[in-house]
Amino acid sequence: MLEKTYINKVHIWGRISTLSALFMMMCIPVSICLYYNVWPDAAKVFKGLLSIVPMFWAIAVIEVITYAPMLGAGGTYLSFVTGNISNLKLPCGLNALQNANVRANTEEGEVISTIAIAASSITATLILALGVILFAPLLPKMTAESSPFAPAFQQVLPALFGALGAGYFTKHWKISILPIAAGISVLVFAPGLAVGALIPVTVIISLLGAQIMYKKNIV
Amino acid sequence: MDFKESGFMYLLGGLVSIFIISQALFFMIKAWKQGRKIGISSATLKNTVASSALFTIAPAIAILATVITLAGALGLVLPWIKLITIGNISYEVTAAQSALNAFGFAGGLALEVKDKAAFAAAAWVMTVGCVMPLILVPLFLKKIQSKVGKAANTNAKWADLMSAAAFIGLIAAFIARAVAGKGEKEIIGDGAGLLSVATLIASIIIMTVLQRICKKFEIKWLEPFAMPLSMIAAMGVAMLLAQILPDNLVAIEWRG
Repeated sequence: MLEKTYINKVHIWGRISTLSALFMMMCIPVSICLYYNVWPDAAKVFKGLLSIVPMFWAIAVIEVITYAPMLGAGGTYLSFVTGNISNLKLPCGLNALQNANVRANTEEGEVISTIAIAASSITATLILALGVILFAPLLPKMTAESSPFAPAFQQVLPALFGALGAGYFTKHWKISILPIAAGISVLVFAPGLAVGALIPVTVIISLLGAQIMYKKNIV
Repeated sequence: MDFKESGFMYLLGGLVSIFIISQALFFMIKAWKQGRKIGISSATLKNTVASSALFTIAPAIAILATVITLAGALGLVLPWIKLITIGNISYEVTAAQSALNAFGFAGGLALEVKDKAAFAAAAWVMTVGCVMPLILVPLFLKKIQSKVGKAANTNAKWADLMSAAAFIGLIAAFIARAVAGKGEKEIIGDGAGLLSVATLIASIIIMTVLQRICKKFEIKWLEPFAMPLSMIAAMGVAMLLAQILPDNLVAIEWRG
């Protein structure tokens, strides 16, 4: 039962580190208030929170349920502390699973996705730290609308998900058509819908479609 | 000295970065040892690290660019801290905007915040708004994982299909966004249009070609880099098209 003990340990480490991260996060506004000796009017802070918390916290529930099975245990603990899940950590983990040719939700998958997401977190944190410290004066010029690099950065998500999708579509083209068509149809009627709100919709449609095709022996 | 970019703020950012890197290193070392124990080769593990690091470069620079977009109002450091922890750009922008509006700054993020209390309030709202996952994950992850694990163990073929379907659902949302999504009115290039579709298609084609090459010529070392390379090449295509096509074509965003 080696696997059991490793997974159990991951949950212990994960809980301790996530709660430490939670404490650290709360210390940031507290220390800003202490250091600058300003305490913003609680009523106004509450008002600011009121307009976002119901939506954000509901999305949090959906995100945890949707992403956790894909990220693996270690990957989930790391990803939710560092954020940028759908645009970085999750695709990075999927890429690693594909390369290593292992499945999610197996012991191998758990190890590979944890290592991939850890490597990604470290790289992203270093790039951001270096970027903020060293390139702060240059960056606005690079990403400014008139810069030749601007179109590249604006298209980072289509570039990322095209490459990631290519592998999946060739392998699973039958179950790919429905969720893509559904996603596009939803946006035809609600073009401004944020991608964060669209993800649960396409994931659920994709799961239902695959389930039906599996039952009917189409896949 | 601007209080938003004081030494104290940089100290906070540094401490948060050290925490994140230590946590990731800890998990990586433990997973590495476990991987070796269950028979995954060192080469596979090393490839995973190298390809994941390379994969991360372009999105991380894109995240860095979003730090800059928030920096006008909040300085560099607070957006930096917020974007290396929890959430992502859409949460942070909404939260900061909501806090500033509550303080009566109608311009929100379009103007520099000079009031320390408003700045502190933005830090509070951005933090409290985003912490929910850090409460849910320690409470429920173990249960979610064991349920998924049980389902996966009983029918491996079905479980594989379902996990592929979940991934495809995620990818489909972003593809739909590139084909038919609407961007912000003021920003050129963020809505679905000629460039987003061209980048998407270029990326799919380059990736497919690279995968074929890897397979046909049995180039093992190239495999882990096929994805990051396709991505960067497709971004290059976007840059090139923006340079050579007439401006009115490049700016087409059919949904606005």
